[in-house]
Amino acid sequence: MLQIKPILSMLLRSKSSPLLLLLQIILSVAIVANASFIIHERLALMDRDSGVVEQEVFDFTMYSFDPSVDLVQQQHKDLQLIRDLPGVKSATFSSMTPLSGGGWSSSFTIGTSEEDERSAPNSAMYYGDEQMVDTLGVKLIEGRNLRPEEILPTFTDSGVKGIVSKAFADQAFPDESAVGKVIYNGNLGEEAIEIIGVVERLQGAWVNSDNLEYSVIIGVELTNAFMRYLVRAEEGTFTRLKEQIPEVLHKDQKNRVIQNFTTLTEHRTSVYRDHELMASVLSLMVVLLLLITSLGLTGMVMFNIERRTKQIGTRRALGATKRDVVSLFLVENYIICLVGGVVGGLLAIALGQQLMQHYDLPQLEWQYPLATIVGLVIVTTLAVVFPATKAAKISPAIATRSV
Amino acid sequence: MLSMKNINKVFKTDLVETHALRDFNLEVKEGEFVAVTGPSGSGKTTFLNIAGLLEGFTNGDYFLDGVNISNLSDNKSAAIRNEKIGFIFQGFNLIPDLNLAENVEVPLRYRGFSRSERDKRVKQALEQVGLGARMKHLPAQLSGGQQQRVAIARALAGEPRFLLADEPTGNLDSMMARQVMELLEDINKAGTTIIMVTHDPELARRAQRNIQIVDGQVCDFTMYQGGQPQLVSDNVQAVS
Amino acid sequence: MFFYYLDLACRSIKKTPFLSVLMVLAISIGIGITITTLNIYKMASVNPAGERSDKLFAVQLWSQGEDSWDEFNPQITYQDSFNLRRGDIPVRQTPMFRTGGAIQTDNPDLAPILEGVRVTDSDFFSLFSVPFLYGQAWDKSVDQQAKYEVVINADLNQQLFGGENSVGRTLYINRKPYKVVGVVDHWSPKPKYYDVNNGAFNDSEQVFVPFSLTPIEEYQSWGNNQGWKHEDTRTVAAKIVSEQHWLQYWVELKDQHDVELYTAWVRSYIEQQQAPGRFNSPNADVQIMDVADWLIENQVVAEDNKVLVGLSALFLVVCLVNMLGLLLAKFLKRAPEVGVRRAIGASRAQIFSQHMVEVGLIGFCGGIIGLLWAWGALSLLAAKFELEQALTSLDMSMWLVAPTIAISAALVAGIYPAWRVCSTNPSIYLKSQ
Repeated sequence: MLQIKPILSMLLRSKSSPLLLLLQIILSVAIVANASFIIHERLALMDRDSGVVEQEVFDFTMYSFDPSVDLVQQQHKDLQLIRDLPGVKSATFSSMTPLSGGGWSSSFTIGTSEEDERSAPNSAMYYGDEQMVDTLGVKLIEGRNLRPEEILPTFTDSGVKGIVSKAFADQAFPDESAVGKVIYNGNLGEEAIEIIGVVERLQGAWVNSDNLEYSVIIGVELTNAFMRYLVRAEEGTFTRLKEQIPEVLHKDQKNRVIQNFTTLTEHRTSVYRDHELMASVLSLMVVLLLLITSLGLTGMVMFNIERRTKQIGTRRALGATKRDVVSLFLVENYIICLVGGVVGGLLAIALGQQLMQHYDLPQLEWQYPLATIVGLVIVTTLAVVFPATKAAKISPAIATRSV
Repeated sequence: MLSMKNINKVFKTDLVETHALRDFNLEVKEGEFVAVTGPSGSGKTTFLNIAGLLEGFTNGDYFLDGVNISNLSDNKSAAIRNEKIGFIFQGFNLIPDLNLAENVEVPLRYRGFSRSERDKRVKQALEQVGLGARMKHLPAQLSGGQQQRVAIARALAGEPRFLLADEPTGNLDSMMARQVMELLEDINKAGTTIIMVTHDPELARRAQRNIQIVDGQVCDFTMYQGGQPQLVSDNVQAVS
Repeated sequence: MFFYYLDLACRSIKKTPFLSVLMVLAISIGIGITITTLNIYKMASVNPAGERSDKLFAVQLWSQGEDSWDEFNPQITYQDSFNLRRGDIPVRQTPMFRTGGAIQTDNPDLAPILEGVRVTDSDFFSLFSVPFLYGQAWDKSVDQQAKYEVVINADLNQQLFGGENSVGRTLYINRKPYKVVGVVDHWSPKPKYYDVNNGAFNDSEQVFVPFSLTPIEEYQSWGNNQGWKHEDTRTVAAKIVSEQHWLQYWVELKDQHDVELYTAWVRSYIEQQQAPGRFNSPNADVQIMDVADWLIENQVVAEDNKVLVGLSALFLVVCLVNMLGLLLAKFLKRAPEVGVRRAIGASRAQIFSQHMVEVGLIGFCGGIIGLLWAWGALSLLAAKFELEQALTSLDMSMWLVAPTIAISAALVAGIYPAWRVCSTNPSIYLKSQ
């Protein structure tokens, strides 16, 4: 009953408007497929687990500008003061904060002699004390935690203990346990760190780095004028603590600037901001594009119907049911969608390859053009059904009425 | 005034060639009122479109008011239509969104008249057809006869030498048709040459001269009445 | 005639409100998206050095050993910057880096403020055309004979001294007194091209101190410190003699000839340094780049921005194709009227112009509404993502760019429909209605 051939030849004969629809669909598929792929990729990036109990952790910075202060003594006192505050679960000084976009990193040297010397992957360095593991809330899966007496005042060539992330351990020591192994923060033999534990997961600070999952916690004290502290506290205590901590610390020693209280949730938002921005703008684009395409399609179909009023009347007079008329327009639409979809899909892949070559974007997966075509078929069906149903109501009498 | 010599008009499609006009010859003198009749598909409309410079022709010579029409550019022929020719159609063809004054003003706009000149001429033309009081009405608010009179006013506003009317009364009842016909006769008396295509033998008879087109050629009216149509190739005589 | 066409266009737009709104919507959304991304792109890629862009050069040195970095580092070492300062080919030159400190005044009520501090030479201010509100840079002699003098930015001057002329007053950086010699008039180039290491769109420092104080005061670097070999750099004293890259170096050269002279001079310096064993890579060389190249080299414009501009341009094309279709539908529907106009004496060119004016008007409306979309989108983005003001404020040029793109895009989309409608034979529409 649905003859595709006559519809096809009709489409081929009426040149411009189906062609324009086709062009629009081709471009839409190419754009939407690539855009949604990028969106998905960015959302997946943002979805990664940092390994840290982000909702409980915050950091702040302290700048001591009084040269007469004994920074080591002061730091011990400060940490005790912070830890005694109600709501605080644990706290440590730290060289960096996860997901903050800034921090320390190093490529450690591994090996026992010059023959088997190699570099470990560049990884984040968390200087901290025995409370670091608890403060971050990372899960120890092998070995043990640092003990208070193991935290050394400075980096020495031996005696430093550290904990590494599983990703680091697997990469640096593929087929064996990392616990008990030694890595060097320098040339072979210099600044040795003995690995005493492995945590399941701990991300570094740079979310766009391939080495995000590689982290090392180092049990060495940091006592610079400019310091960073990590605090884990009960949820809901942050607003109170960010007032209380400077108050308590200033009471003890006033010559310092204490500021930049930031929760890890805030760090996460800010470090992924560009990705979220990209995903948001692209999502907006996709929605608007589908909207415009469907509105345009509705307009065109309405015009087509007006132009073919008489023809539709004739068809009705010759016995076509309302359903026949609607399916006539739908089949017409599906032919265009199909051709446009295939060409657009190919174009999408080509565009994806261009993007991949020129920018740091991964290869487009074929599911995205396909999903886009399916989406378009649904949207255009809606866009066609409304005017086509109206068209089907055209009275057969129109056909017989002359001028 | 109008002179067509051996005009041919051929429509070509992939499959067939159709001769709409075949060695068509016609002379119309200044001030004449010519009625053109003929069966459907005989080529009347093609003749009128060519005469009105709306369509080109395949070969032959056509002089209008001394100007050779054969190879005119679009701009030139538009200018000639604008200045020398007035059109009146069966379907009136008023622009529905424009009021009467604006409809009549359209050709004057294209001729580039000043505002005051346009206003003057629009008023004059509408008064001439008896609709001077309805300048701000929209076409849809008028009867068919009134609409056709607006169309005539539009044709007259540019003071053309030459009026082409295609079934001007075809959509009107007999009473209105007579009024429109009387208006055309007045215009003709004032000196404008008129060529009118019509089905209606009554109307045709009121013209000074009758021409019949059959199969794309001019045919002598009286001879056709007698029996076999005889083709007259040249110098068609007026029948009063 | 233009106003007649404009009048006709307005009537036509009013007559088919649905179709017109659809078209204006299509083009305005296209323009809105394009202008939004273009604005961010433009703001990110603006060259803040203006006409001095090709006179100012960043100096980079390949001082790393073999088997380390395989490109020029954006910064250089302290020892090299100290030696390059002796060169006399540049009109002006300055090494610099970012540090920071707690700022206080004699006013005890004022809580210490932690501020970023730029350590640099007196040439910095004239080199980058820094405008002064009060006073001036410290004297050139201070670059050799260190003095505790300081230049502050207007915002900090407001905070510390209530905005009055503070030249001669004292402020304390880490409890050390410095004499204020100048106040900079709200200077903060975007992007912050002179130091792209510490966030290319961050504000400029509020405090500037003499570079000659570095070894005395042992300022800590608050920027990137990159080393290519393991060496002790924990103290400033050790860092100063190390191979670590942590300073920016800029020179002003007056013409191409001087660029060549200077390059040759630095190369000879590199050769000298090779004697004691430095610069031992076969690639050891100097690279100097003007501001425009520098911004490209440092990828100040994020790749995401480029992708977005590209995609939104494609988006605009879709909107145009969409509009083309709608225009075609609209114009062809009007063919009978056009037939009448043609019969009455309108030439093809006149009909074409009439329709192009209508299309242009639609484009103009779309452009204006598109600008509103863009403005809204930028405000929304600014609010939601706390983007830098520099990136999201609508550039003034967009008021011109948006309607121009909109109108020309619309005209391009309108050519085919207008041509179709003016080229159809009028006679076929005249016979019957």
